[in-house]
Amino acid sequence: MAGAVARALILLFGVATLVSRASGQSAPPAKVSASLRRVFAAGARADTLVIGSDSVLRVTRGDSLLGYAVVRNVKGKDQPITFLVAMDAGDRLKDVDILVYRESYGGEVAYEAWRRQFRGKSASDPLQVGRDIHTISGATISVNAVTLGVRRALAQLVEWHRSGALR
Amino acid sequence: MVLHARRVAFTLALGYLVPTLLAAQESTTVGGYGEIQYVNPSGPGTPATLDVRRFVIYLAHTFSDRLSLRSEVEIEDAKIESSSPLGEVALEQLVFDYRLADRFTLRSGLLLVPIGIINETHEPPTFNGVDRPAFDHDVLPTTWREIGVGAVGMLPIEGWSYRLYLLNGLVAAGFADADGIREGRQEGQAATFANPSLTGRLDWVRPGLRVGASFWYGGSTAGDTALGSGSFDAPVTVLSADGRYDQGPLAVRAVFAYVSVADAEAINTRYGTAVGSRIAGGYGEAAVNLLYWIAPASTQRLNAFVRHERYDTQARVPAGTIRDRAFARRLTTLGLTYKPTWNTAFKGDYQIVRNAAGTAPSEVLSLGIGYQF
Repeated sequence: MAGAVARALILLFGVATLVSRASGQSAPPAKVSASLRRVFAAGARADTLVIGSDSVLRVTRGDSLLGYAVVRNVKGKDQPITFLVAMDAGDRLKDVDILVYRESYGGEVAYEAWRRQFRGKSASDPLQVGRDIHTISGATISVNAVTLGVRRALAQLVEWHRSGALR
Repeated sequence: MVLHARRVAFTLALGYLVPTLLAAQESTTVGGYGEIQYVNPSGPGTPATLDVRRFVIYLAHTFSDRLSLRSEVEIEDAKIESSSPLGEVALEQLVFDYRLADRFTLRSGLLLVPIGIINETHEPPTFNGVDRPAFDHDVLPTTWREIGVGAVGMLPIEGWSYRLYLLNGLVAAGFADADGIREGRQEGQAATFANPSLTGRLDWVRPGLRVGASFWYGGSTAGDTALGSGSFDAPVTVLSADGRYDQGPLAVRAVFAYVSVADAEAINTRYGTAVGSRIAGGYGEAAVNLLYWIAPASTQRLNAFVRHERYDTQARVPAGTIRDRAFARRLTTLGLTYKPTWNTAFKGDYQIVRNAAGTAPSEVLSLGIGYQF
């Protein structure tokens, strides 16, 4: 029995290593530009504005400004959650995208049905779990962390935009 | 505030700014949870007690973007002394996760059995009531953890996720009439792998709603040939369903479980016990956040809740075992949970405990503090 289990374990890790090599590490910037295309539709182009120690992606199509986006990390239970917050040119939240989720529980924050709740929000909306954002049972930590991260990112984007730092 | 914006070429900027966020750095995280309880049962000879019920230190380490470790060390009842039957230091989990893709994580170590609600999510601010539901002690043996390997991930259809583990089995010698399979857990200490067991869970999630189904199947001989020589002899089957609904001021949850101990007759003969061949029951709980109306802008919560538990660890007994109706229990708990933040809780509840034999009816008043971070 012990031999069989050992063989099964070796096989499992062998397969795991192969799968890992085959899928490889996707180039991070590709992940961000794919996300921007998803949020702002195909044809969107982005360049980067540096504001202090932050960087903001300015998204355009042709001559027209579509909006801005930032990539941020928040801590979940013990792993960082990497997400993108996009705002349209009228200071409304365009979309939230989860770029990398590493936690063992709570990955449901990446679900379209949950992220959809953020669309159209403005900096004056509460953006609070249990008020205008529904929670996900069993994913409380991730839900609270991402919601807080989105609220802060949107507030910053709006402030930078209104102060003229973003053009 | 005057801000200066500088435009940098897209590729160049992404090349050095964003990857630092996308790739996890090697890091260590400390966390924990704990609960202090005051428990006052009715009647003479049962004085009130104050207890630091649990103090748990949580340590996690990220080795790379794909490999991480998570652990929980628990101190129960504040201390261990040879003169006291109370007190325990235990490893609640020690989990290696190897994230291969968003949809597939390979998991190994001392794993939490993914059955019911409380076994995997037992931090005190996550549940109402000072103590965990009695059902999650006597029917589902919380905190149930065993050693093994498995896979976790999301299914391609949004809303569905799974966990599937191969773990070491239960030990029938520990089974008992009052708490079923509870003391059959091996909990990662010199565990025998004589009975490899399968356990898993399927979840369906919408914002505000989670519904799950889970199972366990495996033998329990632990090498005792009196119960059989096959890996799956003296099999134990656990089937469970749970649901959580959380919308606005309302939070509702329910769990049901059915445990079958197929060779209960042989187990009872061999070990002189009276374990039921069927253990079954569940609970339902409804809570409303009173601050939703009193202080609509507040992020604090004040939950008023009621929970009804109904279970029987001898729902069916094998031939030769006399059924004791005192094991058919009914517990009703009414209480308040005040949560100044989502991860702290001040609790109070009143519990009415009854059984089908009508023996030892009691009421229990409890107060507690719980936190997690």
